[in-house]
Amino acid sequence: MSPLPLRGLRVIDHGVVWTGPLLGRVLGDHGAEVIWVRPPGRLVGITLSGTPTPFTDPANPRSYQPYGRSKLCVTIDLHNPKGKGLYKELVNVSDIVVENFAPRTMPGLGLGYDVLKEVNPCLIMISAPAAGSTPGPWRDLMTYGPSLSALFGLKSHLGYPGERVLDDTADLDPTACMHGFFALMAALYERGRSGLGQWIDMSQGEACLQRNAESVMEYTMNGRGWGTLGNRYPGMAPHNIYRCRGDDEWVAIAIKTEEEWAAFCRAIGNPPWTSDPAFADAQQRAKNLDELDRLVESWTMKHTKEEVQETLQEAGVAAHAVLSAAGVFRDENYTALRTNVKVEVDAIGPEMVFVGFPWKYQKTPLSIRSHQGPPDRDNDYVFGEILGLSQAERNQLREENII
Amino acid sequence: MPDGALSGLKVLEYGDFIAASYATKLLADLGAEVIKIEKPGIGDSARRQGPFPGDIPHPEKSGLFLFLNTSKQSLTLDPAKPAGRDIFLELVKGADIVTENHPPGFLPSIGLGYQDLEKVNPGIILVSITPFGYDTPHAHYKSYALITSAASGLAWRMGEPGRPPLALPLAAAHYQGGIHAAASAMAALMARGHTGEGQHVWISEVEVMGNILGGDGQEAYFFDGTERSRDGIHNLAFYPWEVAECKDGAFCIMTMIQRQWDRFAELTGIEELKDNPMLANMYGASQYAYEIDELWHPWLKEQTKAELWDMFRREGVAFQPVLTIEEVVKADHLRERGFWVEVEHPVAGTFTYPGAPYKLSRTPWEVATPAPTLGQHNEEILCGRLGFSQPDLVALYRGQII
Repeated sequence: MSPLPLRGLRVIDHGVVWTGPLLGRVLGDHGAEVIWVRPPGRLVGITLSGTPTPFTDPANPRSYQPYGRSKLCVTIDLHNPKGKGLYKELVNVSDIVVENFAPRTMPGLGLGYDVLKEVNPCLIMISAPAAGSTPGPWRDLMTYGPSLSALFGLKSHLGYPGERVLDDTADLDPTACMHGFFALMAALYERGRSGLGQWIDMSQGEACLQRNAESVMEYTMNGRGWGTLGNRYPGMAPHNIYRCRGDDEWVAIAIKTEEEWAAFCRAIGNPPWTSDPAFADAQQRAKNLDELDRLVESWTMKHTKEEVQETLQEAGVAAHAVLSAAGVFRDENYTALRTNVKVEVDAIGPEMVFVGFPWKYQKTPLSIRSHQGPPDRDNDYVFGEILGLSQAERNQLREENII
Repeated sequence: MPDGALSGLKVLEYGDFIAASYATKLLADLGAEVIKIEKPGIGDSARRQGPFPGDIPHPEKSGLFLFLNTSKQSLTLDPAKPAGRDIFLELVKGADIVTENHPPGFLPSIGLGYQDLEKVNPGIILVSITPFGYDTPHAHYKSYALITSAASGLAWRMGEPGRPPLALPLAAAHYQGGIHAAASAMAALMARGHTGEGQHVWISEVEVMGNILGGDGQEAYFFDGTERSRDGIHNLAFYPWEVAECKDGAFCIMTMIQRQWDRFAELTGIEELKDNPMLANMYGASQYAYEIDELWHPWLKEQTKAELWDMFRREGVAFQPVLTIEEVVKADHLRERGFWVEVEHPVAGTFTYPGAPYKLSRTPWEVATPAPTLGQHNEEILCGRLGFSQPDLVALYRGQII
């Protein structure tokens, strides 16, 4: 069995809501021993208030499975002095702490980086709240992914051109998660050189603002702020999503070079409108976008989305059907990517499907190594085997509701 | 200034436009040495993208290129030509990571596939960013960011019912490709610590968009078969989750906490929101989204963004305004965080760029140098490092190798 990339690393995961638990899962899938620490007695799920969603209903053994996989589950009462002591013992033998609490939380518990660093100078801690941990007007704002994308300007481009802003998908948490993963790897690399850990202060919003470089630079260079952008991209035309034959059937087409434009025209049979000077080159097409889109759609409407995809791809033109979640599930390319991992786990009933691993390591492939159980499932292993507490000591802690 | 976290790491970037560039920018700004290979004469196509100051196009003044290529060296090179291939392999010998985003199969076709790189350096890590996979049925597909977004399942979720789906704006898929490539390159580096060997790692933009990003899409579907489509200003997973217009903009009205909604309802002073059976349960309420909206949308439309935000913060209601890019750039918080960096470029001049995605306490992120001019480091690399002479360079240039 080939070694997993992060074999030998021990991570303490305090993740709440989404970014944190997802980062813990990515680390766990990569082979780290991830210890998910939660308070004894209640399941802190994806909601901050404990209102169960179907996804996080404590009564449903299938709930929260995707976020609990490849992790050990333990409970510690961090408000209790003995619990804090136990936690520090764990920090002493761990490499990484992951947390995305509100910035005051860990320092408020007396467990901020300045304290944990003294316990373990090799520790790398990442704090990943919405807007970063340093003081500032937004530090203590409570947000979710979609409201964070509103705050950081990302949402302002989502909508039909010139029309109102619409809801975007919650992509901030996973994006921030991957930046956090990268930053942790960088700190590990540095620790290999220096022997020391450090603190990573990440703002989820700042991490995600990177993907809007084009619009940020347009503002900082030219003082122009873009509004809702539809499916447009400067310099590319056609570049949109077009209706196809059938009900709610769509295809995306994107053309950048004149070669691609010529290939597109040939593929659709060189109708007379394609010779109109209004579409002669990218500059002209950009000036006549609405008319161009209308004409392209007059062709796509006559075909299914699959026909458009195949015809244009065969001609070397970028096009793809717009797929729903079910469509993705059925798609042959996704099946080949092994995007979905089907797993049978006794404790959780019928076969569950999980998202797989988008990173294909040829020599060190990843796999789901464990599933979520009750929050205190691994208390004995972690406190007994790793920290060396006796059965009696563990029972005592249980009785005091510290674990 | 202390060394960057990734000082000592050596990276080759051989790609075009955004994905591979963003991946290696992340490495370069943390101190890795990144040599960016650009097409002789014309360079990376991001140089032609803009935005340009004053809308005057210039290959050294493209905002996108300037942002994506901080802290890197530029070497013009055509590795598809035999002499270019030799130079590339010499550089691979001294490198840890090669990042590329060519169509799958291109590198092997010019004798620079993983097996070829491994021969000269068994420790080399090759990271390939593909649109649809490396060895999959659609690996040969032509693609841009809009295309992988559409194929990922994400576009299906955004836009208004009955109108075209909307992909995530601009080139989100390429940036996702970049961050996943940087992350997996580093993980492969950790693996090398165990195995002593490099490896080939590849990712596809379609999968990173669909999977990791699919919390509300793919995972919900797997969990209980829920198929959600686009719902305009709403996400109908529960209520409230929407973007609602106020007098001078929009607000994200979203919470999972009953108390917060109740406090908001009180603040509106609208009687019909009190004890309303439609609002008995936040998950059930979404089926009445439009009816409930009608009760308070007109009230919101009367308030300005500033008034609402002040009120919400005072009252502990965690709704956030939809800020424009202008408001974000001017926000006190980001300035106080030191998020923005001023970068001075010898040709383009000085502009404000987005700064560190994360702050490392001991070995901070830093823009070491502005984006390179085309071929800026040719002499330094070819003569200084690889031992070519000046006349060699002239010959290479004439032969369009560099």
